[in-house]
Amino acid sequence: MKVFLTGATSLLGRTVAEQLLRRGDLVTTYQRQPSGLATPEVLGDIRDAEKLLLAARSHDAVIHLAALVAPRPAWSDADSVNRLGTMYARQAAELCGRFVYISSPSVAFNGVAIMGSPTELPTYDGSDRYTRSKVAAELVALTNPKVPTVVIRPHLVWGPNDTQLVARIVTRARQGRLVLPDHGRALIDSTYVDDAAAAIVAGLDATDSNSSAVGHAWTITGNDPRPIAELVHGILLAAGIKSSPKSISAPLAKRLGWFSEHLWLGGEPPLTKFAAEQLSLAHWFDQRAVHEALHWRPVVSVEKGLQLLADSFQ
Amino acid sequence: MGADGSPVTWNVLDTGSGVKGTIVCVHGNPTWSYLWRNLLHNLSPEWRVVAIDQTGMGYSERGRPRVLAQRIAELVAFCRQEIAGDFVLAAHDWGGAVAMGAAPQLPVIRMILSNTAAAKPDGVRVPPLIGIARRAAPLICQWTLGFVQGTALMTERQHHLALRAPYKGSRRRRAVADFVIDIPVHPSDTSYMALTGVASGIEALTIPTLLAWGGRDPVFHDRFLRDLQRRIPHADVERFTNCGHLAPLDPAFAPLVAQWLATPAHGSRPIPISRTTSGIYQSIDRHEHDDEAIVDGPQGSLTWAELASRRADIAETLRSQGIKTGDKVALLVKPSGELLVAVAALWALGAVPVVADLNGGIKQLRNLFRTAAPTAVIGSKMTVRFSRLVRLAPGTQHGVLGRRSRRALENGLLLPRSEFEPLRSEMMAAIVHTSGATGPAKPVRYSHGALEAQRDLFATMFPLAPGEAFTTSFAPFLLLAPAIERTCLLPNIRFDRPSLLRISHLRELAGFAPLGLAWFSPAAARGVITAPHENGVDIRRVLLAGAPIDDELRVSVRAATHGEVSAPYGMTECLPVTDGGTLGHGLFGGTNTGHPAENCQVRIVALDDIDAELPIGQWGEILISAPWMFDRYEQHWLENEKTAVYVDGLRYHRTGDVGYIEEGVLFHLGRRTHVIEHSQGPIASVAVEERVQRALKTQVAAVGVGPVGAQVIVVVIASGGKLRLADVQLAELVRTLVDHNVAAVLEGSLPLDSRHQSKIDRVTLANLVSDFLSGR
Repeated sequence: MKVFLTGATSLLGRTVAEQLLRRGDLVTTYQRQPSGLATPEVLGDIRDAEKLLLAARSHDAVIHLAALVAPRPAWSDADSVNRLGTMYARQAAELCGRFVYISSPSVAFNGVAIMGSPTELPTYDGSDRYTRSKVAAELVALTNPKVPTVVIRPHLVWGPNDTQLVARIVTRARQGRLVLPDHGRALIDSTYVDDAAAAIVAGLDATDSNSSAVGHAWTITGNDPRPIAELVHGILLAAGIKSSPKSISAPLAKRLGWFSEHLWLGGEPPLTKFAAEQLSLAHWFDQRAVHEALHWRPVVSVEKGLQLLADSFQ
Repeated sequence: MGADGSPVTWNVLDTGSGVKGTIVCVHGNPTWSYLWRNLLHNLSPEWRVVAIDQTGMGYSERGRPRVLAQRIAELVAFCRQEIAGDFVLAAHDWGGAVAMGAAPQLPVIRMILSNTAAAKPDGVRVPPLIGIARRAAPLICQWTLGFVQGTALMTERQHHLALRAPYKGSRRRRAVADFVIDIPVHPSDTSYMALTGVASGIEALTIPTLLAWGGRDPVFHDRFLRDLQRRIPHADVERFTNCGHLAPLDPAFAPLVAQWLATPAHGSRPIPISRTTSGIYQSIDRHEHDDEAIVDGPQGSLTWAELASRRADIAETLRSQGIKTGDKVALLVKPSGELLVAVAALWALGAVPVVADLNGGIKQLRNLFRTAAPTAVIGSKMTVRFSRLVRLAPGTQHGVLGRRSRRALENGLLLPRSEFEPLRSEMMAAIVHTSGATGPAKPVRYSHGALEAQRDLFATMFPLAPGEAFTTSFAPFLLLAPAIERTCLLPNIRFDRPSLLRISHLRELAGFAPLGLAWFSPAAARGVITAPHENGVDIRRVLLAGAPIDDELRVSVRAATHGEVSAPYGMTECLPVTDGGTLGHGLFGGTNTGHPAENCQVRIVALDDIDAELPIGQWGEILISAPWMFDRYEQHWLENEKTAVYVDGLRYHRTGDVGYIEEGVLFHLGRRTHVIEHSQGPIASVAVEERVQRALKTQVAAVGVGPVGAQVIVVVIASGGKLRLADVQLAELVRTLVDHNVAAVLEGSLPLDSRHQSKIDRVTLANLVSDFLSGR
């Protein structure tokens, strides 16, 4: 199969491309910077519709991963990259015949703990710009699709060379600024990058058939939830950091998040209200329906993943 | 069309297609069709639910006042006009009197009655609330919202506004007052004859009837329920312990009715064998000599001859007080020789002892008494006074055992053996109750046949040599004492404090006669081994029952008593199920309870399908069937329906426990509600706990958190204080011990059941853990 993949510079995007190549698919990637993968690539901005459509022609499927992931983006950036970008990717997919869009579980997060619920509908009150743009993008992907479409929401992806979760935790811990609400007791599921990539590949395969996966958004996780404190501890241990995170009360974390989000003058604020909420509330999902629909199961346990992470830090 | 021929405008809530049938609902005073909202929500759309507003009430037409006879005629006319074919009739409060009056004239196939009456039972005063309302009807019922609001207050807040809605303005409340005035109290009242007619009319009805009763109704209280049960003996009864007058608005009401309607009226239930019997206490008559039957401290000992004469004495006294065959008599007597005498006397009369635990708390005792509905209460002067004081069984005859009967003895007033009531095996023999440790306490009914089978089983399974005595710290087992025909030695402790039993008590008993058998609860057994005596005590066989027994306790008891220690599996509903087993682990862990007793059938069935028997080598829910099993729960139709399973004409009891059979041995894995419903299939919490417990040597509980089928395992290690995350190293260690993914390892104090303080309340714990891990 000839697959057109956007956003291959990210950890997840690169892993998906590698898995596709390993099983013999032909992959063309599309992103702004070179991905370093041994496969044809087109360098371009996701907002450049003309270039995108041209590059995507003569492929069998589009996997759209490119997104702006930032804690405090300008709305124009978030909207144009995430929503408009998805619209262009959808148009490209309509030329190819299949579409896999990578959304985010945060689109269904409305400040309430999620304890084993199945994948939920997107909510529209995403309080931050990133989430609001992702809600809009998911609607773009799933509203009256003209080609078989599967939406995957990978939950809290981490792994070696991860610049999002792992890098942030490690950096903050080194700076001594890592705090967890309420001793990090919230039970949170996460996904090792190889499992997340495999789920996306499974999503691609599902677009082929009359699969029940088509036309839906699927939250996928490693199905091995842990208190956030344990996960963070494991990551720090893997990175060889001895310090342990400080604890503050969850409501205080939320207020601090709000202030730093609004008043921080530097680049990335140390904490946002959204992040504080996400860290203080449980998030784990009933994965039975997903496993059924995608014919996919996670294979990397938290322990195994942490071992691989530790190896990468050596 | 009204009773007098003039048209009537009804407000009717008519919903549903009626594929399964039609149900006509008649509310009482001063409610309206809103009362049935839960029912129609639950039954629609398959059932057509026709809920009427009675004339003058709700949103039906106002106008002429009506008396009972007119209301009955109107309802008959309405149903004839609006309902084609057979239907079900449901009614509440005074709607019940109307509906019961109409039912004989209509094609009613089933009837559901809730907190209503067809007559004022003899000896019951007019409920004070009704009395006041009647005397000042215009003031309370019409000019003010008093009566309407008072009724509304008997239910949850969310219904208050709706219940009041149609009664705004005193003119709209006129019928409320008329209805109250029409309640017949004296033969001179207008509707007295009509109500008498209703009462005799329903006695002739044979249609399936459900009495769904709120047990905390100050108006239509339990004595009205008993009156209806007497008139409709075939009625199924479900008494909601914590529900008041407006039972149809209780969340449990609609599901109950739905299930009742879905249950065939005359299932092919096996008919119990009926034969004459002389009961399990016939042994008393075989021992007309001076051997000790029971040794209960210095003053409480009784010889067999004394037991027989005291029985005859008390039986005569009770008979003179009007106790007769089939009467239920609550015993407020502490476990002692006196208790055995009272039970023996009641059986001589064919009456039924209701044996209650005096230490379960007033609330529980009151509930048990009201559910079991005894016709009399007997006890010591103290306990009877107490019962009257706290109104354990209001309106019930109370009698004191003791002084008066001694006088009777002097006068030679004894009930001759020849005048004892003949017993039959299927007759109700006793009502005991479940401990309440794993749910609300329920009254459990036993037949004479079952008790006989139990006695025979004990004789063969745990035989005693001549001259051997036995002892127990377990009140229910004491009742079997005369049947075993050996001297029963009671330890000098309070039965409600079994944990105070010490080996010195047992040595005292052993000095009287060699102990062949001792039956202890786990608490008593722990007491025995807390202060070990260097020489211990010789007991040939110790039985432990009441909760899963761990190997450690078994070994310690064995060391202290030098005897064989067995832990038979069993429960209040059926005891024992197995012979007690030995040490040794099974494939899935759990307690080794031994081989099922002869004639006891054990089925292991799938957790999600009680009809699917599992092959050997799989664990599931335990169903049991034995000739010595209980009859049924009193006044809990739903519970009986849920727990009785019929296979090949044999009644099985759903134990609510899980376990498996390996090499003929039954292993017990704890309660069904404690199973962790993991996404990879169910996991018995006991199996997880055992592994961790063995390694850490501390008490541990494993609970499932999340929705059924997607739960994750959380292990909580007992260490006092609030819940908190366990140390990371400890969590890692626990994970290596458990085969499945463990989501979190916590530390904190484990909640215990409120009653025995010995079983971990895993349901409460699971809720606490779930809250903790959800963050905030």
